Amino acid sequence: MSATRLDTFRVLLKEFYEAPYRGAIARAKRDEDDLFMLFVYAELLGIPNPATYYTLELQPILLERFHEWHTRMGLEHSPLDHFRCC
Amino acid sequence: MSGTLAWDWSTHPLITSGVVNSLIDRRILFVGGKGGVGKTTTAAALATMAAERGRSCLLVSTDPAHSLGDIFGQNIGDQETLLAPDLTALEIDPDYEAKTHIATVKEQMKSFVHPRLYSEIDRQLNLATHTPGATEAALLERVAELMATAGVRYDLVIFDTAPSGHTVRLLSLPEVMSAWTDGLLKRRRQSARFSTLLGNLTGGRQKGDDLSLLDTPTDYESGSVEERVNNLLTARRRKFTTAREYLLDNTISAFLLVLNADRLSILESQKVVETLAGFDVSVSALIVNRFLTDTIPASGEFIDARRAQQNKYLKQIDDVFRGLPRTIVPLQSHDVHGLEALRGIGSELLKP
Repeated sequence: MSATRLDTFRVLLKEFYEAPYRGAIARAKRDEDDLFMLFVYAELLGIPNPATYYTLELQPILLERFHEWHTRMGLEHSPLDHFRCC
Repeated sequence: MSGTLAWDWSTHPLITSGVVNSLIDRRILFVGGKGGVGKTTTAAALATMAAERGRSCLLVSTDPAHSLGDIFGQNIGDQETLLAPDLTALEIDPDYEAKTHIATVKEQMKSFVHPRLYSEIDRQLNLATHTPGATEAALLERVAELMATAGVRYDLVIFDTAPSGHTVRLLSLPEVMSAWTDGLLKRRRQSARFSTLLGNLTGGRQKGDDLSLLDTPTDYESGSVEERVNNLLTARRRKFTTAREYLLDNTISAFLLVLNADRLSILESQKVVETLAGFDVSVSALIVNRFLTDTIPASGEFIDARRAQQNKYLKQIDDVFRGLPRTIVPLQSHDVHGLEALRGIGSELLKP
């Protein structure tokens, strides 16, 4: 077996073991981020948020992710009548 | 007047001028109590006393219906106003605070979206100004900031608070809010941990994973969304934690409860003491204000009946608030107005 083929084999083998974990961790992380988005935008969805005043300042920063988030949450369009991102 | 009912307050072991001295030696002093018992007057008298002893003092009114300016006969408003040497006063306007905060957020939001959406942002955020708690949160924010200036810009910061219920809420908020920001920060940390794990796996992030929220390095890149979110949350948390630390440290802060010798005032003060205890904040001393003392030269059937009743209530105060140092301020013949009158109240506070 030539050296390059051995290398390819090694990479593939590593991939074979790691790929499932990578997917799982990536999903877990995305769930964390989604939960965080929910905390920040809770009030906009009608869920009372004890700290709206404080999370308000986070909203502009996270705005660029708002669209991805609401589509992933199963809402095709922005859930806000008066706040359209799409 | 019946001699047996007269409370010999001058020999009461708990009354010492040392109480007041130790109060104004601290960095932060909250003056609270039921509406109309004389909180503002007491706070103003203590501030005047401290200032005249050379301790630079900031007197802050958190009551939405401000009356500090009326006592000093001068406009104060939402900015630190020098009233006398070492004596500065401030009347917090929480509505103005909330509006400024929301205006800042609006401006930030507008930098992210197309100008045609500006009106949407305005509409959305104008609603936020009216959410329950927005002014309360704004007030807390300001109080926390001012508490941090105690010992730095001023030797002593005295808060003349709004009637009891409001104050209790204000003092409990730092605990609630820091728990809340902690929750948010924990979510961020968890997310960052997953990022690190991902980075450690070969290949790390790969194209086609289609998990767009992944592009988040653990050591937050400067200027990144993660870093900005984290910075804001941490700054908030620090503010709340400091406020709470100061509140709980009774070498730094003291809570002074003003009450009158009447039934409702005693009952409400009792609730305040209990509720504050629930948040680990203890009341340092009581001021029994507007007391018809034996030294006040007045008599007649009506006055005697009042005196007898007040003495009965004073006894009750001593039973209910056992162990709490207290001092008595006699009822004044005239309204307290201006520095001279406040000095008079101050000397009453110091009387043994």
